[in-house]
Amino acid sequence: MKDQTTTQDLKDRLTLIETMISEGRRTTESWGWTFVLWGMAFYVAIAWAAWGHSAWAWPITMTAAVVVTVILVSIKTGGEAETTLGRAVGSVWLALGVSMFLLFPSLGIAGKLTDPRLFIAVASGMLGMANAASALILRWKVQFGCAVIWWAAAVAACFVTGNQAAVVFIIAIFICQIAFGVYGMIQEAGAKSRRGTAHA
Amino acid sequence: MPDLPELNPVIHGKLRLALLSLLAGIEEAEFTWLRNKTGSTDGNLGAQLARLEEAGYVRVKKKFVNRKPRTLYRMTDAGRQALTEYIQALKQLLGTAIDT
Repeated sequence: MKDQTTTQDLKDRLTLIETMISEGRRTTESWGWTFVLWGMAFYVAIAWAAWGHSAWAWPITMTAAVVVTVILVSIKTGGEAETTLGRAVGSVWLALGVSMFLLFPSLGIAGKLTDPRLFIAVASGMLGMANAASALILRWKVQFGCAVIWWAAAVAACFVTGNQAAVVFIIAIFICQIAFGVYGMIQEAGAKSRRGTAHA
Repeated sequence: MPDLPELNPVIHGKLRLALLSLLAGIEEAEFTWLRNKTGSTDGNLGAQLARLEEAGYVRVKKKFVNRKPRTLYRMTDAGRQALTEYIQALKQLLGTAIDT
């Protein structure tokens, strides 16, 4: 084997292995849009609940957001490879979604969601937890900053008036969903444009 | 002088080596993703993946998503072991080549 294989060929093969392993781990998945989508969904639900005085504002808006997310994810992630990292981060957000969809409707049906500060504190705390877990997995300081903002909003909601808590929640949504989502989309677009095909 | 290791002929093909290396870094991948990453043709890629499957180095799963068929490939434990041994053999050969 050695006779037919030159040293340079062996080196090329090692380089090919290294290149392909790192290429496989690179992902072109884009998730920034989900933050923007859910930020907008939160705003729609808040506005509808505040001005429409409808008890259905949150359940309908959140269900619609889930349907849109599922459809867009199935379209956008087609043809992608599944990485352990992607599955870990996805699991955090899926678990958050299931927890919220079980907890808040249950609290609402049981008539125990009368104080909006309770909803804001719990929702912000849970969003802080999910952002922190995702940030630690991805080693992403910007997202950890979002987690800190959510936690601060959760704590603040416990000590301020209902209106003040709503303002805190709206600001946190803007920074951690809209602004962070747009930032993520810009980062993802930049990363995609820098990549080409690593031909074997 | 120590015996020189043999390089596994199944992995030694450049496209098959690239495919196993790609699959080593992920959990599973679609045929189209592997084609895009390697820049290979459908026919050649299918043939090389079939060879890896025959050797027990990759496992194939077919499923339907939104009524579209998707073929997913995953590296097996035997494939990971074979790739590890191939890399060790390469390094050993290179070490010998540098020594001489």
